[in-house]
Amino acid sequence: MNNTLSHTDTTLIICTLAAVAFPLFAALVNFCLPVKSKVAGWVSALAILLACILSAKVFAGVWNAPQLHVQQVWFTIGNTKVYAGILLNNLSVLMLLLVSLIALPVHVYSTAYMKYDERYSRYFTYLSFFCFSMLALVVVDNLVLFYGFWELVGFSSYLLIGFWFTRDKAVQANKKAFIMNRIGDIGLLSAILILFLVFHTFDIDRLFGRNSIVAQSVLLTGHWTSANENNWMVDGISYQLPAVWQYVAFAGILLAVAAKSAQFPLHTWLPDAMEGPTSVSSLIHAATMVAAGVFLLGRVYPMFTPTELTILAVMGCFTAFMAATIALTQNDLKRVLAYSTISQLGFMVLGMGVGAYSSSLFHLATHAFFKCLLFLVAGIVIHEMQHVKKDNHLDFDPQDILLMGGLRKKLPLTFIVAIVAGLALIGLPLTSGYLSKDGILIQAFEWSDGKNTWFKIIPVTALITSWLTAFYVARLIFKVFFGDFRLQNIYPNLKLHMRDGGWQYKVPVVLLAICCLFPLFSFNPFSYETSWLFKGMDIARIAKFESTYHLIIPVLVNLVSLVVLYLAYAIYVKQNSSAFSQTGFFYRLSYNQWYIDKIYKKVFVKPVLGLGKTLFWFDKNIIDGFVHLLANMAGCVARFSAWTDKYIVDGFLHLLAAMVQSIGNFARKFQGGKVQYYLFSMLVIVLALFLFKILI
Amino acid sequence: MITLTDFLIVSAALFCIGLYMIISKRNAIQILIGIELILNAAILNLVAFGKHDAVNNSGQIFALFAIVLAAATTAVALAIILNVYRKYKTIDPDKINNLKDQ
Repeated sequence: MNNTLSHTDTTLIICTLAAVAFPLFAALVNFCLPVKSKVAGWVSALAILLACILSAKVFAGVWNAPQLHVQQVWFTIGNTKVYAGILLNNLSVLMLLLVSLIALPVHVYSTAYMKYDERYSRYFTYLSFFCFSMLALVVVDNLVLFYGFWELVGFSSYLLIGFWFTRDKAVQANKKAFIMNRIGDIGLLSAILILFLVFHTFDIDRLFGRNSIVAQSVLLTGHWTSANENNWMVDGISYQLPAVWQYVAFAGILLAVAAKSAQFPLHTWLPDAMEGPTSVSSLIHAATMVAAGVFLLGRVYPMFTPTELTILAVMGCFTAFMAATIALTQNDLKRVLAYSTISQLGFMVLGMGVGAYSSSLFHLATHAFFKCLLFLVAGIVIHEMQHVKKDNHLDFDPQDILLMGGLRKKLPLTFIVAIVAGLALIGLPLTSGYLSKDGILIQAFEWSDGKNTWFKIIPVTALITSWLTAFYVARLIFKVFFGDFRLQNIYPNLKLHMRDGGWQYKVPVVLLAICCLFPLFSFNPFSYETSWLFKGMDIARIAKFESTYHLIIPVLVNLVSLVVLYLAYAIYVKQNSSAFSQTGFFYRLSYNQWYIDKIYKKVFVKPVLGLGKTLFWFDKNIIDGFVHLLANMAGCVARFSAWTDKYIVDGFLHLLAAMVQSIGNFARKFQGGKVQYYLFSMLVIVLALFLFKILI
Repeated sequence: MITLTDFLIVSAALFCIGLYMIISKRNAIQILIGIELILNAAILNLVAFGKHDAVNNSGQIFALFAIVLAAATTAVALAIILNVYRKYKTIDPDKINNLKDQ
């Protein structure tokens, strides 16, 4: 845009490029290293550390400053010039910093966690590539590039989820993740194409930036028209499409968000993605993968009409509620966390839907820290359980929380950070989660105020969901860290030497735990509006301080949460009241994850497989049959012509030859040196002459 | 009464027998016999026609000459056959197809 970039701006751009390029470079280096090389981990960690430092510099330079946008002509098709460049505004620098900041502890943690893996350097290759894709995704200014990196994020997550590809479940899981993401990719691609058709540019800044042409476009009289009074529209022509395309574009974006951020119809890949290494789960769940969907929403926000925002809110709300109910009964440590991620992502989408744009992104940032931390904690626990399993030659599922318990004495540091992260996830005061989640809830209530009573369902459901969150987090922590070590009850002669692990484990979790507390985000632990992040993101709303919800909601949430916590404590630690019935309909519904996987299997997978089989049959019998028929016909023709050649053509030649031969033989006899023959032929000729004479 | 035709028929028969022998036999002596038969057919003709000649017995005389000549040729032929047999160890005319000196 600006030809005369100031010196600092140029530096910032170079820093951004370098921050994006370092992980890519690390991935390339690691790719060339031997598979077991231990250097790989430090290459990647160093690259992400540099990226993190540079991102911090960029963040400091751009946050709350005018946005920075540089671009160059990438390619030209006809009269359309497609630009490629970097767009740095509050949203992208926040994400840039967040991604590199979350990725750094995960990298350090991974160097220890993957230490004994056979394909150590491959793991870091993929991990660095993953970070590169995500970092690039957040800074590009162009929808085509955005789509490219969006695909790369999906692809590298595919590699990482299926990292232990010798396990059948991992292969199934990464296939599932990939297919689900493809569905979303199709949506995103069609949305991009429709946007291009209407606005003739891929430029994100132009489309959704300060002078957003998407926001200025009008849906009138059944047509979607790009605003023609924009003087910076090169040819001054306005383009229009039937209005239905606006909804199609929205549906595409919705699909893309649902797939990437695991929202309701397409969420089932995320729990299965737990088959990857735990450190990868932690990265996927925190910053690099699922955040992309919410980030996309943040980027294209001006596009949505009020109805569409309501749809978003409903989708997010339903996902949040459903995932929370599922998380209540799961026994797999990572699966509980996966559903809690889905639930929290639901909150973010809900936040976007109800206009809590900044709260939603705020929640994205806070959630990244505590969810990353929870997964790293889960990784430590699972790691130690695996050690127990290996040392004692037992066979049990190291992720089953029913076998854990009482680990707070054995893993004290892990216990403390898990408590911090858990409280942040519940959203109790003094944690970051309190600030961001209550922001969403309050704004959801404010949003539903001026509307029909039915709209109240959404914030109320969200409220219930946050209580459910409190319950499942409490259940998880009580089951894992309190009570007796149930595995020891089953196998009394267990040899145990559990530890929190080396500094590669301890430093990342402690750092992340500090980031889960309020001071990082706001100096006032009770008011989200004072958070610098919230202020920086606020694009449209003027926060209403006078609303009564600001008092009621946090109090309500936290009091009931405390009650719920005590309830969980009573059930799982004191075992005063009996646990819930494990046969009821709701239990089964929740335990079987709302039967969604089963329904998908029945409704989609089976028909698709059936269709595949039918097509295979069709291909084999009809298409191949036709080809074979043709082949047979050609064979017949060939055989016929071979026969003709052999018997007719060759036969004729042979006949000629035989005739010539017999004539030759016949004629030869006259010259055979046989006197009597000469005589005989003379006689015959004379007789013939006589006969000839007599007849004529 | 024996007419000229009867003689001619016998003569023709002799001729044909002789001709057949010459063509078909694999033995030079038999061929020679065939030649003699043909010669005898010709002599028979001379004698038969001599009856109707203006000059008396001229036919018989010619026949006598012919018989003498035939005897001579036969002798020569036999000598040739003998020589041939010495040289080729066969008297089958089909196998004697090499006249050059060895």
